[in-house]
Amino acid sequence: MAARRGPRPAEERLRRLLVMLPWLMERGEVSVEEASARFGLTEAELAKDLELVAMCGLPPFVDELIDVFIDDGVIWVGVPRLFTKPLRLNSVEAWELLSAGRAAMELPGADPDGPLGRGLAKLAAALGEDDTTGVRIDLDRPPFTDEVVHAASIGAELRIAYWSASRDETSDRVIVPRQVFTDRGQWYVSADDDRSGEVRTFRIDRMETVEQTGRTLSPADAPTPAPGAWFADGSIPRATIRLGPNAQWIRERYPVEEVGEADADGWVEVRVAVASEHWLRVTMVQAGSEAELVDPPEWRDIGRRAATEVLARYRS
Amino acid sequence: MADRVERLTNLLALLLETPEPLSLVQIAGELRGQYPDGQTARRAAFERDKSALREIGVPIEQEIVGGGEYAGQTRYWIDRDRYELSGLELDEDETRALQVAMAATRPGSTSGQEALWKLGAGPIDGAGSGAPVAAVVPDLPSLPALRDAVNRRVPVTFGYREIDRRVDPWGLLLRAGFWYLIGFDHGRDARRTYRIDRIEGEVDVVDGETFERPADFDPREAFPDDPKLIGGGEEEPREALVLVDVDRAAAAVRDLGAERVVRTRPDGSTELRVACTNLPAFRSWLLGYLDAAEVLEPIEVRADIVAFLEGI
Repeated sequence: MAARRGPRPAEERLRRLLVMLPWLMERGEVSVEEASARFGLTEAELAKDLELVAMCGLPPFVDELIDVFIDDGVIWVGVPRLFTKPLRLNSVEAWELLSAGRAAMELPGADPDGPLGRGLAKLAAALGEDDTTGVRIDLDRPPFTDEVVHAASIGAELRIAYWSASRDETSDRVIVPRQVFTDRGQWYVSADDDRSGEVRTFRIDRMETVEQTGRTLSPADAPTPAPGAWFADGSIPRATIRLGPNAQWIRERYPVEEVGEADADGWVEVRVAVASEHWLRVTMVQAGSEAELVDPPEWRDIGRRAATEVLARYRS
Repeated sequence: MADRVERLTNLLALLLETPEPLSLVQIAGELRGQYPDGQTARRAAFERDKSALREIGVPIEQEIVGGGEYAGQTRYWIDRDRYELSGLELDEDETRALQVAMAATRPGSTSGQEALWKLGAGPIDGAGSGAPVAAVVPDLPSLPALRDAVNRRVPVTFGYREIDRRVDPWGLLLRAGFWYLIGFDHGRDARRTYRIDRIEGEVDVVDGETFERPADFDPREAFPDDPKLIGGGEEEPREALVLVDVDRAAAAVRDLGAERVVRTRPDGSTELRVACTNLPAFRSWLLGYLDAAEVLEPIEVRADIVAFLEGI
């Protein structure tokens, strides 16, 4: 967890204490190191808040409200009296749990009768949501997704026929899938790519055939990126585009790095990662007169040139 | 003066423990030396503490004394049953599964982390790194309010496409990366589907009223099968005939389904029927193929595409 700077507000400190105390009371004794890592605090912050709370008390039990002390790097908790149970989940927290849990249930390999399914059922019941049909999460997946997930879990090598958007051609490739993920409705796999010798991201819906080569390789040690950080590759070229009011969907569909202020007519300047020229060509044509490429100069005409090629079809 | 966290903790403990509701004078008496002496300053400090506790989620109850010596005085307490998380009884593997789910779908969520802590689980990022499969679930500020309204069967109002809507929210659906609200639009007197991220401004809940939802309602079935139909709604469904070149024909058939194929020409290029009720969505789909696809008919859709391209 990222370190913060400056004093923490009282509300935040109390909020953290109210989840930390029940956990400490159940454990009885915990190292300061473990507790501070678990709750995203420095050891000094943790010690300060626990020492403070140990001084809390009401007459006639001044100083005896919460029996906790720190000795030699270990937190000791005496007889639990108050704050033995955490606060109820608020509606935002309940929503987070339910939507994360239901999304995970839609991932390949999820077992409705497994721990997640049981936990979600208990959660829905406790929240009084006897009827769970009001909120649904569908992560429809293209053919081959399950095969690719299976290959990722055992380190199986796959031979795929893959349509490459940047070259507009289908080629055979050999990959070892590492992680499958879905973002903005598309399914991707990060995989060791035999041809380039690097980790590459492939769109599963662009695979035309998938077959196991029969080889399995132990998964590489390099960590897989955290969800949401998949496109944060700095080596990919960037473009600056001005988007009109009817092209704002580009911001929703693709990872956009910088967003400027909207001008009086609702146009906004954004910076996007350009994974391939083909993608840029398609996106600029789809946006039509609602997008204007500002930078770099060599791409300024890319949409118009592509549109001319498409128009040629209609005029022949 | 004492650290504010100490005073807040004492106040919380006092209101949880008290056998009967307490007035501010009584509270200040119990927490001796922690609140200012002057009446106005004391009230201001207490109000600030009260809203801090409510902000954290502590349900502080209050009542106004009806008669007698203290008539008109406000008294406060906390109902332990409303305060404590209870009745969940998750097993360890179930808590762990929720933690993994959070790591795989909402890794940066502070509310999610808060929720996991309350359930006794550890940090989100301690769970799922290296999981073979993950998803990004988009977050929108209006989702909690909409979910609450769906649950409580309470109507909502919001702006959409520059029209003020009053909608009975029947359900929420995450599909193809976007959240949708499906409900009954009172202005249109019909069922409608809305992209939640396109809602303009705040969602307001119309408290005090409730609605009945159709018994067999399921958002997945109510949702238009084809995104190229969403947002049309007012018009009759329309279809276009599209020719896709041989190189991309397999991809188009995969995308639309084999039942959409009208015929395959001798050169391998394929004619398909494609929904075009929502013309902008259709155009975007078609142009995804650049010059590898072409609308054959109807004439006016073909003309629309040509005009659109000429405008670039």
